[in-house]
Amino acid sequence: MSEPAGVARGALQAVLAAVDAASYGYGVAGAHLPAAARAAAQRDWAELQVARDGLVSRLASRGVPAPAARDAYQLPFPVHSPATAVSLAGYLQNRLAGAYLGLVALDDPTLRAWGARQAQVCAVRATGWLGRTVAFPGLST
Amino acid sequence: MLAAAGAAVSVLATGCKGVGGLGTRPRPRPDVAVLRAAIGTEQALIARYHSALATSPGLKGTLDPVLDQHLAHLAALRSRLIGATVAPRPGTSAGQAGTLGALADAEQAAAAALVSRLATASPSLAQLLASISASEASHAALLRMHGSTP
Repeated sequence: MSEPAGVARGALQAVLAAVDAASYGYGVAGAHLPAAARAAAQRDWAELQVARDGLVSRLASRGVPAPAARDAYQLPFPVHSPATAVSLAGYLQNRLAGAYLGLVALDDPTLRAWGARQAQVCAVRATGWLGRTVAFPGLST
Repeated sequence: MLAAAGAAVSVLATGCKGVGGLGTRPRPRPDVAVLRAAIGTEQALIARYHSALATSPGLKGTLDPVLDQHLAHLAALRSRLIGATVAPRPGTSAGQAGTLGALADAEQAAAAALVSRLATASPSLAQLLASISASEASHAALLRMHGSTP
C-alpha cells in the first residue's frame, strides 16, 4: 500500500518553503552578527542553497515545478542584536528539522533516510548556534 | 419454523468466524522489533552516562541535561510498547576526556542505528525515531564542543 503521489510532493514543497524561509532569516541574522559568526551563517546559508537544489531536482523528477522563494518571510521574533540573531539561526534550524521530519513519514525509504539525515544536520547546526540540545528536534514541544 | 431456525444457525455460524470472517488477519507490525531495538539502545546510552557521571562527577553540568533528554527518549519509546523490558548492555567508563569522546562516538553510532531502522517503521514512529536520532547527533556535536574546550 502506497500513499498518493501528492503526499510526497506536498512534503517536499513544505521543506522547500522552510528552506526558503530559513535562507531569508539567515540574511536578516547575518546583518546583526559579528564577523566570525557571520561567516558561520554564510556557510549555513550556502548549505541551504545546496539543499534547495536537491529539493528542486527531487520535485522535477516528479514533474513538479518548484515555486520561487517569496521576497520576505515573517520572522518569529524581532531581530535587532547579535543575541537575537543567534537565537533566530537556532530557531530556523529547528523549524527546518520539523519540515524534514515530514519526509520521514513518507513511504519512500530513500526520502525517509534523506529526511532523517537532514534533520540530524539541522539539529547539529542548531546546537552549534545555541550551545544546547533538545530531546525532540523538529517535533513541537 | 424449521426454515427460520436454520437461518438463525447459519447467522450464528458466520458470527463464530469473528474477526477472521472480515478478511485476512493483520500481520504483527514491525514496529515492535524496531521499538525494542531503540529502547535497548537508549538504555545502553543511559547506563553509559550513569557510569561516566560516577567516575567523573565534574562533568555533571555537561552530562545531566543530555542524560535528561535520553530519559525523555526512553519514556517516549516505552509509551508505545506496553511491558517493554529490554536488558541493558553494560556501560563502559574511561578518563574524563576519553569519556566525552567515547560518549560522543556512542551518540553518533546510536543516531546512525536509528536511521538504519526507519524503513520498516510506521510513519509516526519513523518521525519519532528520526527526531531522537537528530537529538543524538546534536549530543555528539555538543560533547565534542565541550571535549575540545580546555
